[in-house]
Amino acid sequence: MSNLAEVWSKRFEHYMIEVQKYMRFVFTGHLAIVIVFAIGALGFQYSQWLQVVSSNFPAEWLVAVVVGIIVAFSRPVTLLKEPDQVYLLPLEKQMPIYFRKALNWTFWSQVFLSAICYLIAIPLLNAVTELESLHIWLGLLFIIILKYINVQTEFHYRYVNRGNFIAFDRIARMAVSILAVQAILSVQFWWAFLYILLLIVYNQSLKKKVIVQPIPYEHFVKLEQNRMMAFYRFANYFTDVPHIRGAIKRRAWLDIIYKFVLFNKESTQSYLVFRTFVRTNDHFYLWVRLTAILVIVALTIDIPVVLWIVAGALSFATTIQLKYALLSSSDFRMDMLFPIKENQRKKAVQKLLRIFMIIQGMLVMLCAIGQPYFFVPAIIIIVMNELTFNLSKDPVVHV
Amino acid sequence: MLEVKDVTGGYTRKPVIKDLNFSIGQGELVGLIGLNGAGKSTTIKHIIGTLLPQKGEIRLNGVTLNEDIETYRSSFSYIPETPVLYDELTLKEHLELTAMAYGIDQHTLKERSGKLLEEFRMEKRLNWFPSHFSKGMKQKVMIMCAFLVKPSLYIIDEPFVGLDPLGIQSLLNQMTERKNEGASVLMSTHVLSTAEKHCDRIIFLHEGRVRAQGTMEDLRKAFNMPNATLDDLYIAMTKEQHNE
Repeated sequence: MSNLAEVWSKRFEHYMIEVQKYMRFVFTGHLAIVIVFAIGALGFQYSQWLQVVSSNFPAEWLVAVVVGIIVAFSRPVTLLKEPDQVYLLPLEKQMPIYFRKALNWTFWSQVFLSAICYLIAIPLLNAVTELESLHIWLGLLFIIILKYINVQTEFHYRYVNRGNFIAFDRIARMAVSILAVQAILSVQFWWAFLYILLLIVYNQSLKKKVIVQPIPYEHFVKLEQNRMMAFYRFANYFTDVPHIRGAIKRRAWLDIIYKFVLFNKESTQSYLVFRTFVRTNDHFYLWVRLTAILVIVALTIDIPVVLWIVAGALSFATTIQLKYALLSSSDFRMDMLFPIKENQRKKAVQKLLRIFMIIQGMLVMLCAIGQPYFFVPAIIIIVMNELTFNLSKDPVVHV
Repeated sequence: MLEVKDVTGGYTRKPVIKDLNFSIGQGELVGLIGLNGAGKSTTIKHIIGTLLPQKGEIRLNGVTLNEDIETYRSSFSYIPETPVLYDELTLKEHLELTAMAYGIDQHTLKERSGKLLEEFRMEKRLNWFPSHFSKGMKQKVMIMCAFLVKPSLYIIDEPFVGLDPLGIQSLLNQMTERKNEGASVLMSTHVLSTAEKHCDRIIFLHEGRVRAQGTMEDLRKAFNMPNATLDDLYIAMTKEQHNE
């Protein structure tokens, strides 16, 4: 049966659609702007530093360590799913076709990171070392080959050992990879060749053991689930990801907040919403993160107008994201059947946000004390919260 | 108490339940019986109001959901087939939240929850979060929340799945107690022997329609099978349908 290649292509297509669906939100969110500014600032700093860097600077070692670490992390992307343990079991003999495709993708999706790091380091290498440009480009080719071997080896190691003690395998490959890159950048080709040979022999010895072992579906499926979960958690910072339920923590020290809610029928949703917000890591840390950014800006920037703009923007971001997170729901919840007023949840969320945005405003005001108009950011935060909450559209609830 | 009149409905435009007619009187325990996919859960979803009928109407204590949503909703409590709990609330908080929603004061809450916790042997788990509960314990939390409220109708979807024998006994005790106080129960189940023993009336649902309903005696007469068990009657009915 040659359709395992087809199974892979189908899966890959679905996977790309899924990833694109969420990446769209990531790159249109506030992170994108922060990244652009950060890259610009860092690039500028880097070019300034290159002009004054001492010629004793250990550039080869630095590049070798960074690239060596990155190439050693070569977690295979197999796109295996839980039902495969049952349905693909009879096709065990044909699975190498599938894995070959999976490893190709793993290599191409990961090689960029090591290559980009190396490319960024080229100006540094030019400034500090006396490498000819042919040698520098040879270095890039070498790193690509190194990555390919690392991808193959990590897969075979995981296959043979079901992922146990992967740290030892990684450290070993990391050490050899670092030495190999250092050798090539020091124009010691024989040493570089020797290190590569060492990795190849190690890979081959693992590969021999692979042939006689059943596929460790459980390990690879777990690996995939963890990887997708990490992706969804990341995407969840920017948009509402349906399959994600944020981790829960008691946070007993915040119990005092619940005192704002009385025990009566009208406060039912407040009772729930206050606890949901405080105990769901995703919601709570969102507020903490944006508040922390504001506090840092208030402490470090002493141009009032800048602080005002940042305060307005982040207050908007906090309110809109928390409003959506707490009001939208794709699952059935028991409170949907409660004999209470339909708008009680919205009012409860508004009350909660009011309290937490006043706290945010107060913290920023304390940090801005000493600046002229130190109270203005707090007012902006509170007013922006009210405006955003009342003027934005309510999310649609699907059950 | 509950009146389901000519109800047709489903998830999409294609109806799952068709022209459903039945009613439940005060103090009655009625079993809703049917194969997988017969429309039991869909019927229940229409009664609790998460699905709206495409045709027909459902009255609970004389009102429809549209006429008076708060009265309608406070007239029943619902125990779903799969427990639906809040990951962020402890057992105690689930009980408190339910009490608040149904306007039960703190004194009554304490009194009723004390009894329920003892009955279901959950007193020591008051401050636990659902992630530490087994499936059966989660089911017990749902049952306790439902019985904390004393509505006129209990709607229970597959109550015996996942409960241990003591839990099943406790649930049956609660149902009997509330029934004696005049409450009604609509319960869907596949455990036919228990249904036969405890239900006052049975509704057979098949392919989205009511195929037969009544007491065990009524059903035996209708199928002309004296001494038959509910299992026998049910199999006879599905075969009859098959031969038609």
